[in-house]
Amino acid sequence: MTQEDVGALSARLSKLLPGNPTVRVTGVASLGAQRRTLFLDLEKDGTTTKAVAQIASQVLDGDNVANEIRLLRAAEGKGVAVPRILAEDVATGTVVSEHVEGESIPRRILRLVEADPELGGRLASDCGTAMAQIHQIPTDEFRDLQDLTDPVRYANEMEKLLDTLTAPHPTFRLGIRWLRRNAIRDLPTPVVVHGDFRLGNFLATERGLSAVLDWELVHLGDPMEDLAWLCLRTWRFGADENEVGGFGSLDALRRAYEKASGVWREDAFAWWTVARTLWWGLGLARQTQVFIEGGATSIVLAASGRRVVELEYDLLKLMQDA
Amino acid sequence: MLDRPDAATLLRGMAATLSDDVLPTTSGPAKHAVRVVANLCRILEREFELGASQSEETRAALAELLDRDGTLPELVEELDQRLRGDAATDETFDAKALEVVLDDVERRLQIDRPGYAS
Repeated sequence: MTQEDVGALSARLSKLLPGNPTVRVTGVASLGAQRRTLFLDLEKDGTTTKAVAQIASQVLDGDNVANEIRLLRAAEGKGVAVPRILAEDVATGTVVSEHVEGESIPRRILRLVEADPELGGRLASDCGTAMAQIHQIPTDEFRDLQDLTDPVRYANEMEKLLDTLTAPHPTFRLGIRWLRRNAIRDLPTPVVVHGDFRLGNFLATERGLSAVLDWELVHLGDPMEDLAWLCLRTWRFGADENEVGGFGSLDALRRAYEKASGVWREDAFAWWTVARTLWWGLGLARQTQVFIEGGATSIVLAASGRRVVELEYDLLKLMQDA
Repeated sequence: MLDRPDAATLLRGMAATLSDDVLPTTSGPAKHAVRVVANLCRILEREFELGASQSEETRAALAELLDRDGTLPELVEELDQRLRGDAATDETFDAKALEVVLDDVERRLQIDRPGYAS
């Protein structure tokens, strides 16, 4: 980010915030392909308050940001650890919230776990509890959210996504056929699904989970979708011995989820593991196509193309072992 | 005739320069970008050395699966077509296709992410 970017951004954020404090960007927390997360100091009348700004790239649309804000507030009501929102601007995909102590960068969290092996179990339990709380958010207010519960419809959506890609992907064609053949038969009552609850999208300290972030993919669906997504190999960042995000055991996650009144369904967990692996493979392939077609210049997006094969491998192995 | 150093050697040198000389002088987003580009140089080095022979292995396997000859892009396209939709469900063909595709994926991982398939 250039100095000029920082100046313009600080001025924009200052206007959004109550009392228009002076905004100083003090650091960059993470650099996802879809959003930037920045640390801020808000200075007003000699007092400095720490805050965090999340700014979506053009890949996301305003509706996702609006949904994220609504859900954050409902989740807070259910006891989920989330940052309090200080200011929002849906048009520019900007949300400023209070600073919550904790690391979001996966490798740093995994280093904390390495230094204190008990933290991994605690973190997996905290994730299980938080997910159960999210899945208990009353759905009445969120009927307008997309409902992805139906597995056959989900497979059809994946096929539509695949058909928008210009390059052929036989692996993903096979994946869609598997999803249709093995579709979950006993459908659950749709719940609020976070949609992107995984290592990198929550904050953790040496005590455990401190905040659940990145709610822009929230939707209605099968609760097992969230649990499966957290356990995908791609979010273990190489620490494959720990099934849950590279930090914890499936047993710890499941016990905490069930203790907090969540219902674990093994067949649905397996199906959603395949489904979300396929979905993320398609996502990376899509990012690659955006770069190839000149819609973005980020080398990180270009590099996504060379990660698609990892998801293909995970997908085929899951299908083979099922 | 092509000049030396060849592409693989140059890419190896480029990756080392980025990792050893440039990376320590950067911070924030630039540091991340340097890491990504250094890794891409290593991927391209391996692709230069392995790509052609791997593509031929996949082409031959696809020709056998589909019982026809063709270039690699033609055969991948044909397999993709045959796996479209759910009308022509043939689990035997799918199982054979999965093996061929998985072999290809494992070859591509040797270039893009060595050690991932284990």
